Amino acid sequence: MSETIRYGFYSGCCFQGADARFFDILKDVFAKVDVELELIEDAVCCGSGVIEERSELTSLAVNAKNMAHAEQMGLPLYTPCSTCYNVISNAQKRMKEDPAVHAQVNEILAEQGLEYKGTCKLTHTLWVFAQDVGLEKLKERVTNPLTGLRVASYYGCHTRNPADIQGYESADNPTSLEDILEVLGVQIVEYDTKDDCCGYHLAWPNNDLNMKMTSNVLEGAHTKDVDLMVTSCPLCFKSMDGTQAKALAQTGKNFQLPVLFLPELVGLACGMTSEDMMLKYHGVPVNLRL
Amino acid sequence: MIEKITPVRKSILANIRIQRFTPSEHKSAYFDNFKVSVETGMTVLEALRLIKNTQDSSLTFRAFCRSKICGSCAVRVNGKPVLACSTQLMPILEDFKKDSVSIQPLKNMPVLRDLVVDIEPVIEKLSKMHPYLMENRERIPETLEEESIMSKQEHSRFDYITDCILCGSCYSACSAASADPNYAGPLTLGKAYRFSADVRDSFQGERMQAAVDQGLWSCAQCRKCINVCPKDTRPAVSIQRMRKMSIDDGIHDTAGSRRAKAYTGDVAKYGQVNKPMLPVIVNGPKGWAAIEAAENYLKKHGIEPTLQVCTLGGQSSTQKIYDKVKELEAKGENKT
Amino acid sequence: MLTYDILIVGSGGAGLYAALESRMEEDLQVGVLTKVYPTRSHTGAAQGGVNAALANLDPTDTWQDHWFDTVKGSDYLADQDAAEIMTREAPMVVREMEHWGCPFSRTDEGKIAQRPFGGASKPRACFSADKVGHVMLHTLYEQGIRHGVNFLNEWQVLSLMHDGQRCQGVTAINTQTGRVHTIQAKAVILATGGHGRIYWTRTSNALGNTGDGTAIAYRAGLPIKDMEFIQFHPTGLRRTGILVSEGARGEGGFLLNGQGERFMSRYAPEKMELGPRDLVSRSCETEVREGRAGPEGEVFLDLTHLGRERILERLPQIRELCIEFEGVDPIEEPIPIKPTAHYSMGGIHTDLNGQTPIEGIYAAGEAGCVSVHGANRLGGNSLLDILIFGRRAGKHALEYARNNSFTPVDTGQEEADAKMIASIMEGESGASIADIRRSMGNLMAEKVGVYRNGKDLESAVSELADLQEQFKMVRIQDKTKAFNTELVAALELKNMLDLAEVVAVGALERNESRGAHTREDHPERDDENWLAHTMATLGDDGRPKLDFSPVTITEFEPKARTY
Repeated sequence: MSETIRYGFYSGCCFQGADARFFDILKDVFAKVDVELELIEDAVCCGSGVIEERSELTSLAVNAKNMAHAEQMGLPLYTPCSTCYNVISNAQKRMKEDPAVHAQVNEILAEQGLEYKGTCKLTHTLWVFAQDVGLEKLKERVTNPLTGLRVASYYGCHTRNPADIQGYESADNPTSLEDILEVLGVQIVEYDTKDDCCGYHLAWPNNDLNMKMTSNVLEGAHTKDVDLMVTSCPLCFKSMDGTQAKALAQTGKNFQLPVLFLPELVGLACGMTSEDMMLKYHGVPVNLRL
Repeated sequence: MIEKITPVRKSILANIRIQRFTPSEHKSAYFDNFKVSVETGMTVLEALRLIKNTQDSSLTFRAFCRSKICGSCAVRVNGKPVLACSTQLMPILEDFKKDSVSIQPLKNMPVLRDLVVDIEPVIEKLSKMHPYLMENRERIPETLEEESIMSKQEHSRFDYITDCILCGSCYSACSAASADPNYAGPLTLGKAYRFSADVRDSFQGERMQAAVDQGLWSCAQCRKCINVCPKDTRPAVSIQRMRKMSIDDGIHDTAGSRRAKAYTGDVAKYGQVNKPMLPVIVNGPKGWAAIEAAENYLKKHGIEPTLQVCTLGGQSSTQKIYDKVKELEAKGENKT
Repeated sequence: MLTYDILIVGSGGAGLYAALESRMEEDLQVGVLTKVYPTRSHTGAAQGGVNAALANLDPTDTWQDHWFDTVKGSDYLADQDAAEIMTREAPMVVREMEHWGCPFSRTDEGKIAQRPFGGASKPRACFSADKVGHVMLHTLYEQGIRHGVNFLNEWQVLSLMHDGQRCQGVTAINTQTGRVHTIQAKAVILATGGHGRIYWTRTSNALGNTGDGTAIAYRAGLPIKDMEFIQFHPTGLRRTGILVSEGARGEGGFLLNGQGERFMSRYAPEKMELGPRDLVSRSCETEVREGRAGPEGEVFLDLTHLGRERILERLPQIRELCIEFEGVDPIEEPIPIKPTAHYSMGGIHTDLNGQTPIEGIYAAGEAGCVSVHGANRLGGNSLLDILIFGRRAGKHALEYARNNSFTPVDTGQEEADAKMIASIMEGESGASIADIRRSMGNLMAEKVGVYRNGKDLESAVSELADLQEQFKMVRIQDKTKAFNTELVAALELKNMLDLAEVVAVGALERNESRGAHTREDHPERDDENWLAHTMATLGDDGRPKLDFSPVTITEFEPKARTY
């Protein structure tokens, strides 16, 4: 019996509305590889980098609070959301580099009896699977290898940029996603727009541009005749799946490319069903030859 | 102890794939392969020069200072924009675990020849951003007998951007610039912030308008520009700061500024962004259409829509953080 | 035919300051022709500081102190009236830069920060972290955009035209199209920088510091001055010649030869690694000459004994530079270095307003020679030189252009230059540019470098003549018109070969050692015979003809230069 790995689970804001299903999906998929998530009860939204547009100090304090709770639980902070990962790790880095700011943030947190020590470890789905669980164990748990499936892998931006927010792998040539996918048995297809941004964060300030950027990424993968795209970022997933029809219509393109959020594909490979993964809620129908 | 010095130098015979294109001769770009013995210490620029000097003298690229300060030699190496002069080849070969490396011109600018791109469009965008200091006579003396006084703290607000060498790496990496030819791009907005944040400048309103008009809110904050900048000028951070200035000045009411206010307010109120209501908050009454579409989608899947935001547990204590920050900011003690 | 009231060739600090000064009132058309983009210019590479006696750090500092330091540093070859103007006006130009937005580092009181520098008696180098040249260059470019200066980017100048008395303009090739143009101008300001590249790989200079303006002035019959004086920096990286600054030695770095010996004990047992630049350069060179170099003719700057922590804390930029450019981490191993040609003291002869003997033709910055640096330039004075004399040339050219009409010019030169280019492009069978250039650089480094002697110089002069012959047949493989960088390289090489000859001939003629010019066979300074400027003009035989003119001495009698 292998040992269970536990994380402080920081959910972020992305699993609202229909996406609330991912709370259960994540829990079930992680259970397959002996990972347990313990919700960080007193967490608040990371602010998505947008709070910085009003006050950087507020953003740092809010995220120091999030990390302080994880520190109290004695667990690494795991977030499925790449933007949360980015914003929180950026706060961590900023306070590490500037002790005066760190001290001021703790002065703010002291009012509620909290202290951010700076010891909190951050991680993301990619490295939970590829490093903590490990590819070997993951392989053991794959009961339904997805052989023959042509897949475009898409990291999105916020686990990669800037390079110094993570110490897990090369930022210029990350391989965790492909390493995981390989274990699941799929065939990975290279495409030109893999490093481009989907523009999710422009959904409100400049929706047209968001649609164009999403469409560009999708088209790059589509021209390589892939069966589906897999992304490790739930926000990219929203862009690519949820707004795909609109994005393609607005840019005069006519195709459908199924998009999966990485944990869904892991679940499927580990023997879970389309129903378990609630694939019917996808914007673009997913009909896999499983 | 005196010991003879024997430097350790590795060497790999590598294949350098270079994108070629001469408009008057070729219909489209193609790749040429050159075999080069890459040794410890060899930069991408040295390899290009070696190829030009010994294999193909028509290979065309720009290079000047070869010490990371002029910005001429930016190219893409394995897809990533870098300065050829300050990029070692051996670690790249090791990182990518291959004995081949590809060198291409920057993206988002027309190719003039081989690795040379036309940077005029970017310079034009920059010029429209009023990228210069307009004297603020409250800070800059009329005579040359005196210098203006600017504190270290005031200087540090923009000093990091003055490292920018206009190499275009960030512009090449920017997906928003690819998708929208009118978007000014990271380096130009960074420059706009550099002057707007300078206490010696008197031109903030007009420059801010230029920034808003040229895409201040078109940056997706993907932060690739931070990653690729060879001088660590953090354009995306400058854009965030410029956005803050535009909100603070109270004049520039935009969808983006409304979003920023909404997010900031919501986190205090709910510990969470009020996503269900965001369309109306940001776009006004016409946002209801988006809300209805979302509701219909949920109904289709048998989920009961709600305009209730789901609060997060930490909400109750967040207001205290905001109050304390406000107190510190009012006292001018904000250390960020 | 393109027309500008004032055309500036070169877009470094001197060129841009001149452009701004002459365009400030926006009444005349001012063009800047540059072979790069303005912000690429080599001014940007200056890291240390710009000297001005602002007395922000040391209240006792005066411009007179600065004046004396400059004259002494020059080994008394500077013209003292010129040095007086430069040091007296220095605070004003630095403040003007500041008022235009130049982000100098600040003191605790919010004033322009200053720091000590080699050869300066008081801390007067104004700085902006380690990027002062870069921020000055960008500030000038920004203000140029504001005031409507026209830029001709990526144009290579070909010839300077005058009618024997007055300026007519220049010819130039637009690299992007490959077309040759005549550009008529009432005034031309040559601000094309130095010619350190005549040492090819053995220089800290940019690839394009090929002395283009100096060479076209020389070919147009103008005198060029003190060309034999080239400053060498002791610690250039082995591969690229890029500077490892004095900071590394200041922090306690050792200089080792290939056998691991701390060789400065032989040459400066007390000061060791902290001796003056020229002495350290000569010591490194001696180790190499006497066979004690490393496997590739290098010596080493060793920091390993300082330990990881101290290097990371005190010398992070130097470490980064060694990793990026040499692939060597100084925490792990010694840095391979060689002395590297750094600065050209000589250049186009001008008066105090930057004007040459031809009315309307000016030169400023490293391309010009007023002279303020004499036989050896002081650190922090090169950036000052470009500001002061860029400004003065701009001001004077503005008045000149306002008060004079265009001098007629025909397209004869344009046709001749187009023909010259066509003939270069025809070259099929000769040596390659790379080969000739490498030979020139090696020859200059070995025989006209840190150490010189009559015999080597004589052979250098004759070998250079051979290379000039080889150049006539140079092989060009790239026959494309637009963006032909091989052609540009050929044009630059032609310029360098002409200047290298003048440098070698001047060095051969000057039978003394002064400042940066070290003759093994004439080791002493000789004020009786050689307190004079070397003036070279192109002779009828196509070889340089040398004259000498007296040094202006107003205040400081020459004394031995000791520190």
